[in-house]
Amino acid sequence: MKQSKLISKAAVYLFLSVFFIISFFPVLFTFMSSFKSNMEILTTGNTIFPKEFVIDNYVRAWQMADFSTYTKNSVFLSFFCVLGAILSSTCCGYVFSRGRFRGKEFVYYLMISSMFVSLGTLTLYPLLMMMKVVGLNKSLWGVIIIRVFGMNVTNLFIARGFITTIPTEIDEAAKIDGCSFFRIYYNIIFPLCKPLIATVAILAFRSSWNDYMLPMVFTMTDPKRMPLVVGIMRLKSSGAAASSWNLMLAGTAISLIPMMVIYLIFNRYFVAGMTSGAVKG
Amino acid sequence: MKATPTIRNKGLQRDSLQAILMILPFLIGFILFSYVPIIYILRYAVTDFNGYSTANFTGLHNFHRIFTSDPDFWMSLLNTVILSFCKLLVEIPLALLLATLLNQKLRGIGFFRVTLFMPAVISAAIIGLIFSLLFASFNGTVNTILQNVGLIGKPINWFGSKWSAMLVLGIASVWQNYGINMMFFLMALQSIPQEIYECAELDGAHGLRKFFSITLPMIAPIFESVLLMAIIGSLKVCDLVISLTNGQPGGTTEVVMTYIYKFFFGNSGRNIEIGYASAMSAVTAVFLGLVTLVYVRGTGKMKEGQA
Repeated sequence: MKQSKLISKAAVYLFLSVFFIISFFPVLFTFMSSFKSNMEILTTGNTIFPKEFVIDNYVRAWQMADFSTYTKNSVFLSFFCVLGAILSSTCCGYVFSRGRFRGKEFVYYLMISSMFVSLGTLTLYPLLMMMKVVGLNKSLWGVIIIRVFGMNVTNLFIARGFITTIPTEIDEAAKIDGCSFFRIYYNIIFPLCKPLIATVAILAFRSSWNDYMLPMVFTMTDPKRMPLVVGIMRLKSSGAAASSWNLMLAGTAISLIPMMVIYLIFNRYFVAGMTSGAVKG
Repeated sequence: MKATPTIRNKGLQRDSLQAILMILPFLIGFILFSYVPIIYILRYAVTDFNGYSTANFTGLHNFHRIFTSDPDFWMSLLNTVILSFCKLLVEIPLALLLATLLNQKLRGIGFFRVTLFMPAVISAAIIGLIFSLLFASFNGTVNTILQNVGLIGKPINWFGSKWSAMLVLGIASVWQNYGINMMFFLMALQSIPQEIYECAELDGAHGLRKFFSITLPMIAPIFESVLLMAIIGSLKVCDLVISLTNGQPGGTTEVVMTYIYKFFFGNSGRNIEIGYASAMSAVTAVFLGLVTLVYVRGTGKMKEGQA
């Protein structure tokens, strides 16, 4: 009995280790390849570690291939998307949890129903044309406005769920002291939402940092405004793709590193946020 | 004492007004960005709009073209379905198996939870880029490994034929998504009360019997919604395909989203045909809606059958 348990334990570890390698290898491979010379990337896929570490890839990507601009744009885009997501989710979560007005339930279910009518890529063109009306079709502000005001249903779920768990006695007390609905949000509920804010912020960072299609169509004509992922893909689809794998991989590493670091530090929030959609939905 | 209700009423009115004002900008934005694009698509679906000239009403001509003379559209839709079906056939059981293993109380299990989930935080476009390098035909890593193990004699040109390119798309897609589904299942497994297993053990149930008689029925509700999200998500796949094959070779690995996208934006040498792209979008939207409807109906029936 004891021996068979030991064997099954070993089998579990072995199986998980195989999947650890499968999950981890492509990332490791990317990081290591980003230090290879272009020649080495194209001719030797059979070695993981570079013959010699070419730091120059990063210097050239940063200075010549505009990755400093792309990084700046990515930080800009993510910053405002995160800020907007925090504001929109706490605001809407609070209103749907505590607000009292006619039609609240209807509006809530209307918003949730959008989960089933979202058409992904198909709406890119209409969105671009709508932003053209207000002159934001060539700016990342267009992307930010769409992402923030387009309401993320998952965030709404999480926020409403979280705020509903805050005891109502707290706002009752504040109401007796004469606090208005908005004051209660601003002075009492918002400061109590720290775990919610962390989760929403991390989800928003992940999606805006990784976003490709939407920022791509908004910056198509203007490389100076492209975020990292779009810039990397532009290099890939350009004619010079074969000769710039080293720059592309250095750029990829530049975009992966912040994501990985934040994931390893805050992985609790990543998991909690990304899985809450299914369980509550 | 009489004054109190009116004060409270006034307070309530003011609070309601504030609540509406707080939600209004997001409600407007939500309607603008969720529903207006659909109206836009429906409006141009019956025109010959190409982005520049005036849009002429052409009735059902676009739909006629889709149904009678555009086999490529149907191929892209079929590709989407095949890709989704095959990859979910691997991905969902794999995610469930890994979740079951990660649900055990073993030393170091936290490490595996963190690392196995990691691919889920990487951009789909970047994943496409990494896999196109891994599966490169000349001295690519995967070819080298397979050759060293002795599975293949000479390097495979992965992106040279339709089905091998589709296979790579499937592998990349499974790699991207198994972590998130694994976490969904893990959360579902953790919500099962331990007592049920103890009772079953007293009754003499073991291993697989416990899994099929307790675990599966207990996680069925979450399993259903996870599967629905996975189906819809994979039918809408776009970024990964654009960055990995972009329809190559010869447009044979195009999925429906990338196919229509090229008509909207005129990539890969296509002419911009907003009207026609809108019509295809409408057809695709109906298709996605039907899949959801059939699924929800189907699982609903399943529940009735069990009860």
